[in-house]
Amino acid sequence: MNGLFGGATADVVATWVAAIVTLVVLGGLLGERRLFGWSQHLLAGLATGFVALLAIREVIGPRLLDPMMAGGVGRLELWVGLALVGVAAGAPWLPRVVAAVPVSIAIGSLAAFALGGAVIGTVIPQLVATVAVDRATTLDTVTGVAAAGVTGLVLLGFLHGVPRGRPMRAAAGAGRWLLLAGIGGWLGYLLFSRLLLLLDRIGFLLGDWLGLAR
Amino acid sequence: MSERRALLVRLAPALLLVGLAAAWLLPDPASLRLASTDHAAADGWKAALDALPDEPTVLVGFDPDIGTYPEVRPTVRTALADLLNRNARLVLVSLTPEGRALLVTELARLRRAGANPARLLDLGYLAGSEAALVSIASEPPVPAGSVGEIARRLADEGIGAVDAAVVVGGNDFGPRSWVEQVGPRVEGLPILAIAPTVLLPELQPYVASGQLAALLGTPRDGAAYRSLADLGSLNRLREVSEPPLAALMLGLLIAVAVVGQAWGGRLGAQLRTTGRDGREVG
Repeated sequence: MNGLFGGATADVVATWVAAIVTLVVLGGLLGERRLFGWSQHLLAGLATGFVALLAIREVIGPRLLDPMMAGGVGRLELWVGLALVGVAAGAPWLPRVVAAVPVSIAIGSLAAFALGGAVIGTVIPQLVATVAVDRATTLDTVTGVAAAGVTGLVLLGFLHGVPRGRPMRAAAGAGRWLLLAGIGGWLGYLLFSRLLLLLDRIGFLLGDWLGLAR
Repeated sequence: MSERRALLVRLAPALLLVGLAAAWLLPDPASLRLASTDHAAADGWKAALDALPDEPTVLVGFDPDIGTYPEVRPTVRTALADLLNRNARLVLVSLTPEGRALLVTELARLRRAGANPARLLDLGYLAGSEAALVSIASEPPVPAGSVGEIARRLADEGIGAVDAAVVVGGNDFGPRSWVEQVGPRVEGLPILAIAPTVLLPELQPYVASGQLAALLGTPRDGAAYRSLADLGSLNRLREVSEPPLAALMLGLLIAVAVVGQAWGGRLGAQLRTTGRDGREVG
């Protein structure tokens, strides 16, 4: 099926809409900024609408209101949840101290879980895996020691102010270069991902919309 | 900047698009191949699936992002088909709105392709990121009104009913969070991951430490797995088109040329400045 020839009506319409929006976005790359700007507004509006729909249909409705209707009126946590939803929705009209409560709870709990998880799930197991186990081969041991060395140097690179002493300065400098090398490698990966995305869109226009075969 | 150079800069994006489109239309050269000759990652993935019990219940954390999904999409579709072909029961959940939007699309695709709906249970979107993962690690919240064997087992046994977790990751949320939040709370639950290449540096150590049972983290590992996967009667669920290699190669060459030109220009300017300073001192 392609947008120009045949297929169910809904599919054809969806393909045409997607093709037009893709062309508008690619037009931004070529200098057509006005339509591109509108497409950004459209994306922001659709994303906001989608998130609102998701919040109502998949969170507030089934996990808060439905249990209350189904005999959960006596459950304190549901009332607390409902109050937090009300405060979040009315935040623009409420005093800052009150409006900050749901956001603070969300950020605090996220930070607590993320930090705890990072220590229990990453730092400790990775330290154990890198350093404190018998390695099968010398290469593994050398790799582990090198990883620990690189980690140490990069951490030194984050020292603020002027490091004391020449060796420390050299180590911090080496750490910063290693960090840059890491970021460079990561940017390479990112470039590859974005290239695949661009080719996917080109493939959509040529294959799904125009019906050209490879 | 000269007028000619300015015009070239303005035309460059159009030339890039035309060049990539032309390369997309070309057949893939026989000398190029995306699948890695090193099948270790694909073999590891298959071995992790082979180790699961018969008719396993697999929790699928579906949180790719739109920017990187095209990279993993063919592998994700093959992996879902592979699991269904192994008679797995899939319990699907998303913890990001983007992941949810993409999951809705994939579920619609599976339904249209005739996948057995009794093998699928959609838990929907769970808010709370890490906090939601903690709740999944004890009792995955089964939506009210869900029927069928998967929903019943999940409601009765909680996370104990799950034999493995397959996590499709993206930039916002991915396998690292599952390893950190679910791994320590559910002992012995194998976590398998499909992720875009940008996540490889943060995920590779988890494979080495055994916290991830298997990882398909690059397009070439994904292609190797796709070439090995036997989907039987569910081969129709496989994505038909593979990444266009000629266009991919052209794009990468252009990227390398642009980076090289920027570096070369800066190096040349530095050398000219150094030479001029040397002559002035002399």
